[in-house]
Amino acid sequence: MKIKAKLKGDIVNVKVLAKHSMTTYDQAEKRTGNRDDANFITHISATYNGEVVFDASTSQFLSKNPIFKFKFKGGAKGEKLEMNWVDFKGNTKSGKAKIK
Amino acid sequence: MERRNFLSLVGLGALALTVAPAAVRAEDFRKLKPTVWTAKTVEDAVKAMYGSDTATESGITITTPDVAASGGAVPVNVKSDLDLKSLTVFQNANPESTVIAFTIGKSSVVDYDMKMKLKSVGDPITITVIAEGNDGKLYKGTRTLNVALGGCEG
Repeated sequence: MKIKAKLKGDIVNVKVLAKHSMTTYDQAEKRTGNRDDANFITHISATYNGEVVFDASTSQFLSKNPIFKFKFKGGAKGEKLEMNWVDFKGNTKSGKAKIK
Repeated sequence: MERRNFLSLVGLGALALTVAPAAVRAEDFRKLKPTVWTAKTVEDAVKAMYGSDTATESGITITTPDVAASGGAVPVNVKSDLDLKSLTVFQNANPESTVIAFTIGKSSVVDYDMKMKLKSVGDPITITVIAEGNDGKLYKGTRTLNVALGGCEG
């Protein structure tokens, strides 16, 4: 997971790239003949100082290696932003970035 | 996962619990409302998500290209100045309708960019965004676009 967080004024701009194949049911069927081979990120969230600042339940209809951009208020330079995602098969991944 | 990472995660988790009990909790709508994600029409999906599909058409801006060259990654931006609790994005091209559901915290700014997969269906595709305000009302925004090459088949 690649995360960039930048403070502009009083708003933190975050850009995140989550590495994931995001296979839809149709794609899985075409490739392996089994719709159950679909796998995609189902939930991605970001926490700052224990507060959830970004939270999304997602479906298979996001692009491969999906990119998200979001903003939040109240962040400070040098502090850490934590991100986590979980996919359909239960795999999880976390990442963190320092706010610049 | 490396041991060091794991330990720091545990530490932070404990910290989060003790420091901010009143913070917005992450809500997994896939677990809370599983039928939303299997609905085949936007209308059904909206009803499954919010119980009603009566929404005021204002306050939400959706930006996409007029014609997306590739349906594999269509850039979509959703913006709003309203005081919102949650926001969900739907479309009418793919087999299921719901794309993504955001929970909006008090320090979140509603300005999201994402990349979406859209099937090419020949007809123009409509992206519908429904948001629930903290006033309990539903708000709606729509955007119509064309996709030159579909993104779900390959």
